[in-house]
Amino acid sequence: MDIQIQNLTMTYPNGKQALRGMTLELGAPSFVGLLGPNGAGKSTLLKLLSAALLPTSGSITIDGIPLSQAEHRLRSRLGYLPQDFGLFDELTAAQFLDYMAALKQLRDPKAAVKNALSAVNLERQARTRIRALSGGQRQRVGIAQALLGDPPLLILDEPTVGLDPEERIHFRNLFSQAAQDRLVLLSTHIIEDVQAVCDRLVVLDQGRILFSGSPAQLIRLAQGHVGVFWEQETAQDRNGIPGHGETKGPELHITARVNTSQGIRCRAVAEQLPPFAQEEEPSLEDAYLYLLSREVTG
Amino acid sequence: MIRLFLYECRRLLWNRFFLGLGLLLLFCGWQVLNRATIFGVARTAPFSPWSFGDYLSRMLPFLWIGVLLLLSAYVTPQARRTAVLTDAAPMPPWQYAAVRCAAVSAGAGLFLSCCLGEAALFYQLCFGWHDWETLLAPALITLPPPLIFALGAGWRLSRIHPWLTYVWMAAPAVWTIVPLPEPLGLLDGSLFTSLPLALAALDPAVLDPAFSLPGSAWLSQGLMVIAGAGFLLAGSIRSLFSA
Repeated sequence: MDIQIQNLTMTYPNGKQALRGMTLELGAPSFVGLLGPNGAGKSTLLKLLSAALLPTSGSITIDGIPLSQAEHRLRSRLGYLPQDFGLFDELTAAQFLDYMAALKQLRDPKAAVKNALSAVNLERQARTRIRALSGGQRQRVGIAQALLGDPPLLILDEPTVGLDPEERIHFRNLFSQAAQDRLVLLSTHIIEDVQAVCDRLVVLDQGRILFSGSPAQLIRLAQGHVGVFWEQETAQDRNGIPGHGETKGPELHITARVNTSQGIRCRAVAEQLPPFAQEEEPSLEDAYLYLLSREVTG
Repeated sequence: MIRLFLYECRRLLWNRFFLGLGLLLLFCGWQVLNRATIFGVARTAPFSPWSFGDYLSRMLPFLWIGVLLLLSAYVTPQARRTAVLTDAAPMPPWQYAAVRCAAVSAGAGLFLSCCLGEAALFYQLCFGWHDWETLLAPALITLPPPLIFALGAGWRLSRIHPWLTYVWMAAPAVWTIVPLPEPLGLLDGSLFTSLPLALAALDPAVLDPAFSLPGSAWLSQGLMVIAGAGFLLAGSIRSLFSA
């Protein structure tokens, strides 16, 4: 499945411009991570891709066919997990999945439900009413309905919200496995969720694409822009650190402060590192923050 | 489709809310039968089509609200949050709407059966009367048309804004306060109380005049069916063309 997005713009009726002339090409098999701060336009993009919204301008084509003409084709191949969703509380987990399987017009609903329940580790809760499930278990039911029938396109908006760390790792691996033969789009602001598994990252901010490429390319972008320093050693040059007075010299964006026995160790990104900072190998999180900080200062 | 319909029926009808509504309906029906219908209307027997029609008219507001309460299950905030998942499924929207509409209709059918069954039981217990086929005509002309209209218009209104469903529930209050013109006399039951007297005046020898309605009443009931069905189908046809 190939998706082409051309000059996509989305302005909500209240005037909020969520996407501004976005152009992007996506093809299977691939695991694409959508990263960006809150309000960057990630969820809007996913809603447009799942035909839940109509764009203000621009176009989306699915395998060369405009989305407006390929809605049924898209929906019959789509597994969609929105950020905010409800479930039928009066049904059991298995019944809800069977309901969704009927709605998705799957040929072998029983097997599809069984596989989905097993994929999300909910076999034991299959006969439990949804109203009795915990928040994390409800999220897993949501993921299970997206996985029903092994759709070739998976769109997952913040799928790991509410899951414990062990479950998050489990789902990260599950999505990664799924992406071996299909297109998986995962939106998140948790870097760990995309760090190890995505082969492509798209970073959005204020409705625009800041970066599109592999995680390694994003990390390379931040090479030479990440440094560490002791906070007390830089006391004489504190004015250079935002949040400690007037900004003089290079602008530093502190990404982490760690209390150690020797004092506070700071990690920061900057377009130009100050002399007191010792250059460090950037992580994906550093690179992402560097990219966003560059946008703010740029 | 059948599996979905059964799930929708289970969601709508297999719960304490529906059971409570049914019991409330039976209670109200029993009160109407014992306090009003038992005396007969317009000097006719309690089991005449006229008295039975009057009973049905008195029950109509409860059925109207009951049907719309079933419909309102699809416009609750929880239902709207679930719609983000169901809307992403490939089933054509008109088919899904038809399944849900069928489930609400099944609920309405059950409510209707409760009213009719209760009346049949009442006539049997109080009068040992069971010539029920004579009541078929008033039952068919009095209840289904306004209920189809309530459902169709309610469905359309809920698409415009969910709270309009609740506003629509108050419609029976209008005809209990405002006198209706004769063609709509089946809604407030005025035709069942006035017509037998008019017919008896024409032929005083007849005690229980045979059940008949003026053409305008048939026409208004027919228009309600057409309008209700039209409202239901309009959305389906629109989604057929937009699919």
